[in-house]
Amino acid sequence: MEFTNTTKVFTCIQCGKCTGGCPESGRTPLNVRLIVRKNQFGAQVKNSHLWYCTSCGTCTVRCPRDVKPSEVIFDMRSTLVESGDISTSIQKALENTFLQKNPWGRARSKRAEWAEKSGVAIKHISDTLEKRLLLSCCVHAYDPRCHVIPVNISKLLTYSGIEFGILGEEECCCGNEIRRIGEKGLFEELREENISNFNRYDVREILTLSPHCMNTLKKEYNLPKLKVYHYTQLLWDMIREGVVKIGKDYKKRVAYHDPCFLGKQNGIFEEPRYILKSIEGLELLEFSRSRENSLCCEGGGGRMFYEVEVQYERNAKIRVEEAYELGVQTIVVSCPFCLMTLEEQAVEKGIEVKDISEILVEVLE
Amino acid sequence: MNIVVFTKRVAAAQEEELKIVRDGEDLDISKLPFKVNDWDNYAVEEAVKTVEKFGGQVTAISLGDKESDEVLRRSIAMGAKEGLLIRKDDPIFDPAVRANVAFNFIKKHNIVFDAIFTGVQAEDDQFGVFGGYLAALLKIPFASMVIGIDEWKTDHVVVKRELEGGMSERVRIGIPCVLSIQTGINEPRYVSIMGIRKASQVERKVFDGSEYMENIRSSIELLRWSYPPKKEGAKLLSADIDSACRELLEILKEKGVYQ
Amino acid sequence: MSYGLIVADVRKGTFDERNLDLIGFCNILEVDAYILLPKGDYDVDLSYFKRVIRLNMEEADFLNPLNIGAIVEKTIEKFGRPSIIIFSSSSSGMEMASYLAGYFNVPIITDINGLSKEEKVFFKSCYSEKVYAHLRLKNEGFSVLTIRSGSFKQHANKKCEVTETEEMDPPTLSEKRSFLGYVEEEKQEIDITKANFLISIGRGVGKKEEIAGYEELATLLKATLSASRPVIDKQWLPKERQVGTSGKTVKPKVYLAMGISGAFQHIAGMKDSECIIAVNKDPEAPIFQYAHYGIIGDMHKVRDKLKELLKGL
Ligand SMILES: Cc1cc2nc3c(=O)[nH]c(=O)nc-3n(C[C@H](O)[C@H](O)[C@H](O)COP(=O)(O)OP(=O)(O)OC[C@H]3O[C@@H](n4cnc5c(N)ncnc54)[C@H](O)[C@@H]3O)c2cc1C
Repeated sequence: MEFTNTTKVFTCIQCGKCTGGCPESGRTPLNVRLIVRKNQFGAQVKNSHLWYCTSCGTCTVRCPRDVKPSEVIFDMRSTLVESGDISTSIQKALENTFLQKNPWGRARSKRAEWAEKSGVAIKHISDTLEKRLLLSCCVHAYDPRCHVIPVNISKLLTYSGIEFGILGEEECCCGNEIRRIGEKGLFEELREENISNFNRYDVREILTLSPHCMNTLKKEYNLPKLKVYHYTQLLWDMIREGVVKIGKDYKKRVAYHDPCFLGKQNGIFEEPRYILKSIEGLELLEFSRSRENSLCCEGGGGRMFYEVEVQYERNAKIRVEEAYELGVQTIVVSCPFCLMTLEEQAVEKGIEVKDISEILVEVLE
Repeated sequence: MNIVVFTKRVAAAQEEELKIVRDGEDLDISKLPFKVNDWDNYAVEEAVKTVEKFGGQVTAISLGDKESDEVLRRSIAMGAKEGLLIRKDDPIFDPAVRANVAFNFIKKHNIVFDAIFTGVQAEDDQFGVFGGYLAALLKIPFASMVIGIDEWKTDHVVVKRELEGGMSERVRIGIPCVLSIQTGINEPRYVSIMGIRKASQVERKVFDGSEYMENIRSSIELLRWSYPPKKEGAKLLSADIDSACRELLEILKEKGVYQ
Repeated sequence: MSYGLIVADVRKGTFDERNLDLIGFCNILEVDAYILLPKGDYDVDLSYFKRVIRLNMEEADFLNPLNIGAIVEKTIEKFGRPSIIIFSSSSSGMEMASYLAGYFNVPIITDINGLSKEEKVFFKSCYSEKVYAHLRLKNEGFSVLTIRSGSFKQHANKKCEVTETEEMDPPTLSEKRSFLGYVEEEKQEIDITKANFLISIGRGVGKKEEIAGYEELATLLKATLSASRPVIDKQWLPKERQVGTSGKTVKPKVYLAMGISGAFQHIAGMKDSECIIAVNKDPEAPIFQYAHYGIIGDMHKVRDKLKELLKGL
């Protein structure tokens, strides 16, 4: 496949910082620097190589010339999407998202099923005064394992008297992954639908549960008047201000895994750690690669729906093995993708993986 | 090679609980998303692939309401040359009527074709009748459950038909003919949103469906809808492994996967 | 008295069990069952039928939908008009039925799986078993019906005192379609999305050494082996065999899941299978919520017992 370049590939000086930080380089055929290089020449890139990228953003964050190598990859994927030259599992995810507004094609009408498990009354955004929208994310909406996360957050907010509302079955995929898969037209449709919902209900702030949703809403939606934030930010505020009180201890060795879309791409490193540090008995350990250098779990950029060509040791496995070495009992995450990828590996080592909200509800008064 | 493909827009009900309303008289599908019938998607792909290989053109036809234009745009984005809508706003349930309308349409407009492709069945009514019925009305040969086209010659095709128990057969059939295409025959290509937008620029002709309905009456009365007996989780087989395995083999036989 | 004309479901010299549903259907409606059978040595109890019409033609020609119209015309000439002509909802049954209905331009209802005799109403599933449509025929003449396998066979319990057997010469055969042969099991790449019957194994399989036993079981059952992601990750089976959101979406007739818990990503790839059977030692495993049938027990024991039964057969 021949590609045309629209990004700033010509400013690239081939320094290799991108490849140096890439969680896929070395072990897989993905070589970001080379892809940019080939782009400069309009040379052939093997299609399959493009799909290793997890869209973690490391290359773009590290690039000294603002080439945005990850965007170069998304553009190239776009060419493949437009020509229909994509794997069937990616195709399914796109078709499902078009039809039901979530990549699994589950019924849109069941998007708010998690709310029934919460035991608290959850309002539609139109029935609220403060117009604070809780955006659940497709994963939380449909994976029964993840229902507990919006449930926990809803309970915490309700008990603390913080008003919020949801969109229910009007909610629709944010498109963060869709854009990174390269389906730009579909991303535009999702974005338009979401924005028209935000406008219709006069939404003033958006509480996101997934760093992926937060990222695209903040950076790719152009919503200057809307405040968009991640739930760990709100939870820390609530703890700091004494709105919620931690009353029990949590006597475990815990390591926090920084999600790429929360940490390196959006600079939120401290709040989750503050929350964990404020819990009595909890021993917070650090992975050797943490914060900006956090090892990507490989759930993003379409990898949730696609197995790459070459089989290699999953990062999640490496992560879990390190946790095991460290004697970690619980790996704590704040992103549904990380939760799923890490948990799949952790069961074999007898380590638990928890969302930060799961720990919090255990230790509240 | 001219191939006509019939494609239908259906409610995507797979994930939904369908609501029966008005004392069983109606099915409320108004809230469901709609999409192209899965089988037809394969049929369109097969038609497009065939003309890509042997030349000719694909014409997509849909019989349905005005929204059915969506599946025509999709077919064009996949590679059909044109799209024709036989517009009929109230749905036609009876497959014999649908086939007769299609027959009248083809005759009236003198549509020439080497083959007509249809999906094996539609996801909504699941009759699986349209293709065969139409072929008989047209007095041309027919094969259904086609999972492979092995040969295209000027006067015949050789197709593979799926049978039960993992078996298939090869038959040779004369052209022109009707083939009902089974899912799995190919991998339908992805059509992007931009692709569909581009396809919208190709004009789709619209015909008034009632013009082809003369003297056609349905002999099937749809009295009401009901729910099947509710399935409460899995039916557990015997706790004793020996009996459980025997029961299992019986189920496999009944499902036709093991003889 | 009018009769029900059964077009026998035959294949490769065997008389399929599905025919019992057609007989049961006639019995419930209390119409005499006539059956059309081609040449061949079928193992069939003829006393179910009031009349057996043996056509002097090969099975393959009999199954050719282009011949069925003329055959039925001839039958009508000889025996009068039936009230219904029935087929089983099999690949060839459906093919012939739709063509025959169009040939006479008469109504057709397919895949009937229930009926209310008093009202003369037939049930058929729509939207993949989500709802049943209740349909009544209002035509004067005959109609064509196809019957779902397993729906009425328990009613095939009435024998006729007298069965008349007639030979009938076939009509002129169509040359527009001809049978070339059955397709030999082509040694092609395994494609789990095309398989009718998948045996899928999960992490519960435990050890690599156990895999061979499942491969053997799959061979005995003419099934294809697939797996959940952990099994693929360990490279116990090739990547192409992975079922799930990041693997393949499958829709076989039967999906036999052994030692698979039923995680969301797995379920998404197989939930639309026609029949899901789960074997798991944990009665709480989520897979049971999606399964139609379940065995709570050790997967290896189930495997070994099945193999024993199959070899003993
Ligand atoms: C990005 C991403 C993509 C994914 N994609 C896929 C995918 O495409 N496909 C997929 O399958 N998974 C996928 N997963 C993984 C998924 O989340 C689950 O981890 C996985 O499906 C679990 O596989 P399992 O059921 O085989 O294993 P487990 O969940 O460990 O279940 C094993 C089961 O076996 C039972 N068992 C154990 N021993 C026996 C015995 N002797 N007899 C009977 N039963 C026994 C246990 O009770 C248990 O229920 C994905 C995960 C992520 C993060």
